[in-house]
Amino acid sequence: MPVIEVTGLAKDFRSGRAAVHALRDVTFAVDEGRFVTLVGPSGCGKSTLLAIMAGLIAPTRGEARIEGAPITAPMPAKIGMVFQDPTLLPWKSALANVEFPLALRHVDPATRRKRCMELLDLVGLSEFADHYPHELSGGMRQRVAIARGLAQDPRLILMDEPFAALDEQMRTRMGHDLLDIWEKTGKTIFFITHSLTEAIYLSDTVLVMSARPGRIIATLAIDFPRPRELDIIGSENFGRIRNRIWHLISERGE
Amino acid sequence: MSAALAGHLIFAALLFGGWELAGRLALVDASFLPPLPQVGAILWGFLHHDAFIGDLVLTATEVAVAFLIAAPLAISSGFLLGERLHLAATFNPVVHLVLAVPQSIFLPVFILAFGIGFLEKVLFGITHAYFIILVNSFAAVRSIPPALVAAARVFGATRAQVYTRIYLPAMLPLILTGLRLGMILCIIGVLLAEMYASRRGIGRLIFSWGESYQIPELIAGILLVSILTIAVNEAMRLIELRVGRFYRNAAGN
Repeated sequence: MPVIEVTGLAKDFRSGRAAVHALRDVTFAVDEGRFVTLVGPSGCGKSTLLAIMAGLIAPTRGEARIEGAPITAPMPAKIGMVFQDPTLLPWKSALANVEFPLALRHVDPATRRKRCMELLDLVGLSEFADHYPHELSGGMRQRVAIARGLAQDPRLILMDEPFAALDEQMRTRMGHDLLDIWEKTGKTIFFITHSLTEAIYLSDTVLVMSARPGRIIATLAIDFPRPRELDIIGSENFGRIRNRIWHLISERGE
Repeated sequence: MSAALAGHLIFAALLFGGWELAGRLALVDASFLPPLPQVGAILWGFLHHDAFIGDLVLTATEVAVAFLIAAPLAISSGFLLGERLHLAATFNPVVHLVLAVPQSIFLPVFILAFGIGFLEKVLFGITHAYFIILVNSFAAVRSIPPALVAAARVFGATRAQVYTRIYLPAMLPLILTGLRLGMILCIIGVLLAEMYASRRGIGRLIFSWGESYQIPELIAGILLVSILTIAVNEAMRLIELRVGRFYRNAAGN
């Protein structure tokens, strides 16, 4: 049974007098425990799709459902999110930032402290619990944001280009560590990126989106065995898949 | 001892040493620059003089009342303009025009409208503080990263929680800056009103000492007001820095 289903989703924006068609007829489903990535050229409506799935904005047509229930507002108990910017609260420590979603629900301090220390440990930052965001590196901040996304033990984690602001090496390492976290927690992850390498390396399934109006133009199963090592990126098969996605995007995008 | 602190001490030593030296070497007429010990003795005398303390307390009360009225009004107006941009489009240019005009030129109008006394001085203090606090409050609202609000909403924050847990702490540093500047302008407004036309208050005293060539008293009064306003400003700046320390590098976050 799919954790999330998106059917016939469309989103139009009004820009002055003209209507901008950001998304058109987007349909897909993500099964439990899968790692699914959506790739597409910049400005293709990826972030709009994610905002709809997070319940932040309403679609013009169609709908998104989580475990059968339509998403019309944020659903913090079921959907966690990691943003492109870490969006940590600068006046709170790393631990307090991870606790933030639980504090909003008035979970008692001892319980949330214990749970969130475990999460910081999972992302490898238990020694930095008392540090403030400005004292952490970009990669560390994004790790805190991942721990925060897991705090409410949601069914689905949405990730909006979470490593885009990091340098190449850090980005690769974060992807590797994310797979480790995913395997330990068994969460369903829906990930957005414009990096083809990142998409193929991480995912069970890659959805390819066209330029605006964004549509799903291909669904590719990626069957490298897991746990994956970084050297698959250099393999012939990996290159073939990357070329195929690149052609799909560039043919439609001109 | 840090280099900065050493620098400050050297500056103070030069200031007061130069003052003393100028008097001893008769570089300046002693009636214009009375020796430091004499000014100090007069200052000490002031603090044991009930009438003087009464004037000081009156001025401080006027400043406090003006500030306590202006601050919440200005913060909420700035907040409203920051949240309702169509209102800001109308009112921001007005605010900036008002800020451009030296408010002292309106004092005669205030006196015509409200007479001289407590009410007029407080109102003049309020108008001095109001606009600068408003501008900072507006900037504080606009400085909140929309992504922080979106994140809070995804994690289940209610509207009230977005205001108390995101808006309030995010706005605090700029609000505090506004309040400190507002306090300085508020003191300027009240002292100006007292010096221009008033029966009581420390501003009135200082002005009358100047008019009657009571130089030692004049300098003692100036020194005392300077010390007090510096103390208020530094206290507020300390709070500002304490709060602001979380925000270093926060822009890249």
